[in-house]
Amino acid sequence: MEKVNSNYSRRAFLRSSALVGGGLMIHFSGLSRFSPAEKLGNIDLPEQWSEINGYVKITADNIIKIICPNPEFGQNVMTSLPMIVAEELDVEWKKVIVEMGPHDNVKLGPQFTGGSNSVRMYWRPLRQAGAAARHMLKEAAAQTWGVPVEEVTTKAGTLFHENSGKSARYGDVASKAATIAVPKDIKLKDVKNFNVVRHSQKNVEGEKIVTGKPLFGVDYTQEGMLIAMIEHPPAIGLKIKSFDASQTLQMPGIKDVFTLKLYEEGFEQGGFDTRTFNELLVVVGKTTWEVMNARKKLVVEWTPAGDTKDYAGGRNGKTERIVPGELETTEKQYQKMREYADRPAQQLRKDGDPETAFKNAAQIIERTYTAPFLAHNCMEPMNFFAHVTDEKALLVGPLQAPGWTEPTLVKLLNLPADKIEIQMTRMGGGFGRRAYGHYLMEAALISKKIKAPVKLMYTREDDMTYGVYRPMYTATYRAALDADKNLVAFHVKGGGIPEHPIHANRFPAGALDNYLAEGWQIPSNITTGAFRAPRSNFNAAAEQSFLDEVAEAMGKDPIEFRLELLKRAKEKPVGKNNEYDADRYAGVLKLIKEKSGWNKPENKKYNRGVAAYFCHSSYAAHVVDMVMKDGQPYVERVFSAMDCGIVVNPDAATNMVQGAVVDGIGNAFYGGLKHKDGAALQNNFNKYRIIRINEAPKKIEVSFVQNDIDPTGLGEPPFPPVFGAVANALYRTLGNRLYQQPFSVPATDKRAF
Amino acid sequence: MIKLTINKKEHSVDVDPDTPLLWVLRDTLNLVGTKYGCGVAQCGACVVHLNGEAVRSCVTKVSRAEGKKVVTIEGLSETHTHPLQKAWLELDVSQCGYCQAGQIMSAAVLLRENKNPTDQDIDDAMAGNICRCGTYLRIREAIHAAARIQQKGV
Amino acid sequence: MKKRYELPGRTIAVLVCLSSLIIFMNFRFKTQSLNRKAARQSAHKEILLEAAAGKDSAASVKAFAEVYKVLMSPRCMNCHPSGDVPLQGDDSHLHAMLPKRGKDGKGLYAMKCTNCHQPTNLEGLNKPPGHPDWHLPPANMKMVFEGRTRNQLAKQLVNPRTNGNKTMQQLIEHADDGLVKAGWNPGEGRTLPPLTHAEFKKAWITWIETGAYAPSAKKQSGTK
Repeated sequence: MEKVNSNYSRRAFLRSSALVGGGLMIHFSGLSRFSPAEKLGNIDLPEQWSEINGYVKITADNIIKIICPNPEFGQNVMTSLPMIVAEELDVEWKKVIVEMGPHDNVKLGPQFTGGSNSVRMYWRPLRQAGAAARHMLKEAAAQTWGVPVEEVTTKAGTLFHENSGKSARYGDVASKAATIAVPKDIKLKDVKNFNVVRHSQKNVEGEKIVTGKPLFGVDYTQEGMLIAMIEHPPAIGLKIKSFDASQTLQMPGIKDVFTLKLYEEGFEQGGFDTRTFNELLVVVGKTTWEVMNARKKLVVEWTPAGDTKDYAGGRNGKTERIVPGELETTEKQYQKMREYADRPAQQLRKDGDPETAFKNAAQIIERTYTAPFLAHNCMEPMNFFAHVTDEKALLVGPLQAPGWTEPTLVKLLNLPADKIEIQMTRMGGGFGRRAYGHYLMEAALISKKIKAPVKLMYTREDDMTYGVYRPMYTATYRAALDADKNLVAFHVKGGGIPEHPIHANRFPAGALDNYLAEGWQIPSNITTGAFRAPRSNFNAAAEQSFLDEVAEAMGKDPIEFRLELLKRAKEKPVGKNNEYDADRYAGVLKLIKEKSGWNKPENKKYNRGVAAYFCHSSYAAHVVDMVMKDGQPYVERVFSAMDCGIVVNPDAATNMVQGAVVDGIGNAFYGGLKHKDGAALQNNFNKYRIIRINEAPKKIEVSFVQNDIDPTGLGEPPFPPVFGAVANALYRTLGNRLYQQPFSVPATDKRAF
Repeated sequence: MIKLTINKKEHSVDVDPDTPLLWVLRDTLNLVGTKYGCGVAQCGACVVHLNGEAVRSCVTKVSRAEGKKVVTIEGLSETHTHPLQKAWLELDVSQCGYCQAGQIMSAAVLLRENKNPTDQDIDDAMAGNICRCGTYLRIREAIHAAARIQQKGV
Repeated sequence: MKKRYELPGRTIAVLVCLSSLIIFMNFRFKTQSLNRKAARQSAHKEILLEAAAGKDSAASVKAFAEVYKVLMSPRCMNCHPSGDVPLQGDDSHLHAMLPKRGKDGKGLYAMKCTNCHQPTNLEGLNKPPGHPDWHLPPANMKMVFEGRTRNQLAKQLVNPRTNGNKTMQQLIEHADDGLVKAGWNPGEGRTLPPLTHAEFKKAWITWIETGAYAPSAKKQSGTK
């Protein structure tokens, strides 16, 4: 049994703990009630809930409801997080009703989906919540029966007192339990005794999904709701000069056309207040199609916005940033990156004397890798419902970071936080994109202006051309070998628009005596953001491809080469602050070696590529088996190994890894957004290629390292190394290495199809 | 007024005949299981059955549907027990779930026309449906599973 | 039915050998083919007589050069691909999502042409162009344009075994086929064929009526 302390926290504390991204505490709210979130679902449930704590509600009829605190965007938290509560609460999982909670940092913690955080940040609090609720139910039974609480046991939602033979369902004592003080010391289960967690449970919304129930933000509707769309400039760096909406206003169903400023001059932005365009040209009408149609009749003159200023708030006060006004073009961006790469850069880490080691090297291998902007392309385009009045605001839709969005809303709407209700719908994908809530702010301001409930809709074109992309990256890697082909020094210099990708304290840092990492960046008006581990997914492509090439130059097997470096990092680590655990890193490599039958003769028919990477506290390795199909490289089979600690929901976790592999292959081959004079050259799926079923592998075999470590990240970690494994398999397939993403090879023989 | 038969029910809608069926379903009739993904027939999120064919409702004018039978995900099976729905749940296919209605509606035409599809048949039928989460392997498996369920009649 | 179409094929085979020795062109219709019994019964007769009457290999080949430009333009060639997947766009790339021809040329399962291609064009860029009968040639008569030389394409077009069982009269009429004409109404953002439909039709008929000569297999110039 482990013992942990629960904490009683004020809102302010929770907010700051959410911002530092760790050390989450929860507040058990006693008897306060939730505003019902059933509106979106079709659950017809009684209202007489006894709220045991923020996460657990029970009726007298013994219906048990567990609240999911964190936004669901396909990572399965709506199932896996309540499973954690159910485990400690000791209830029958099949009888539990799961509901998405409202936005409420006080009762439900930081509520942030991103950074592969959901399970790892909620693991302890949810176990505590479940255990506390179970204890309160036991206490209520003990008081009712007049027996010592220590003698009360539970099993699958029923309380027992063995000596007297008494038993009660949780529901029988729920209302009493709700009045009992939250225990200070909570005993958690031994992980060995888990019977919900670590056992595959089906997606709690699976049935709603396959029967077309309203689940998503775009599905939300309300009586009298209008539809709004924003005509944003056709290029990043342009703004409205003038517009004529006379024809638009004559179109059927159109209510209004107007411009609106998102942030006032000097507005202090938080870290997730990224927005590409500040002046909004808004069309409001009755139905989506009417607004779509009427937009085409707008006559707008655009003009270069020139350099603009953004202001960031923060501990050190307000800081100013110049956003350059240049209308950017992809070729020029690559050219600029080459220029910057030759200039001195910021030193991020240095071990030993890399300069001398390179000077004395017998052989230097130097390779430069580049990758373009990536668009998230969530299947559900950005949208949000807003109904803002002078007194309060209701916002409903897909959002990864309600906690970080609310403070901005407070400022924009001039309403207190407790008058702003944010309801979180299931998201049709996120991948980092929906951490940036500008579309919610836009919806709120539009509703405030027109004084009506409104749903802001982005078309696919609006969505793809808006910005907030995975940054454009490059890195030059250098390895120095001595005359005996030993790796004696390693140098990485990375840059990007608008940030560099380098994680200086990750592998192979720590495994090499002479190591240098540097970074540089080019400011840009092209907005960027999180994208399924944005820096990592570039690094894992470049670094893992480079390590393969170095291994080959050294005459070593790529897996053995990595294991040797990790052995060194484990036994005699170089430098400080090495982020990774060399044992766990080596663990996934050893597992993938075994599972993939590495070097086994029966696998010789495949062009194999291996890669491993560490991020979000987890470790992932893949072996990709490539063949030529229809004249093109095709990943037919993949073996994946993951170490993410305890796996809460194994089948769903497997699904997630399989999805990450498919996503990785797709983005490695096809991902890339180009610009010409600030305008995105791709605005829909006919130009931005997304991997399809015929391009997906036949088999992805996923293995998890079995350990009892508290869960670490899963949504992102399996994604980055896919790029590297694909790059390495492509080398064996094509006979030459590709250094520039995307890797897609044009079809040479159309007759093959 | 345009008369439509959707999921065996008659509806009269007062919309521009050029309105895509998708928006009539979603905005006018509140049948929101059919999804908007691209608006240009690229992603398949909006697939419905029009006289049994897997049309893309985002490019199908509502006038084309007049006098024909429309079936949406909500009406694929009255009891929500179409073999594909069963198989999708059995294999827990969905991640975000946004594309899955379209996937199922496409797969339903495949299964009707080919009782025992091969992987190649599945590719040929399903490459028009994008799943951004990458659940394709489970979609493939679920279609095979649904074919078995369909054959056994359970 | 079938028999009727066998004849011209044989005729062509014989004549190709004969004529290629004498003249620059290696293929043409000759009047003696009209003596064949089956041809007398068919609609070919009139056309071929006409063609024979006005035969002019130079004019025919010249007209076909124009015809060829149109047929090899994306608007025509994209639905006459060398494989079973149509092509798309002005660069004639493989159609996204790889819809397959199917037995009847109308697609497969959930990927039938008319699931996306509506009876009419839709307003807006990147929308599928429309026609009520959108399809590819069927699997048993693929009528490939992609990759064909002028010589190959001309021969293919006049041979009922490879032209969709069309008589010369039907070939002429085919210039006004709805789906053919859809090439000149391709929807927003797509380039038109290099000739107007009227110019194309004129060149097409001229080519046929002047003898439907195929350009030399050796001497090719101009567009591919």
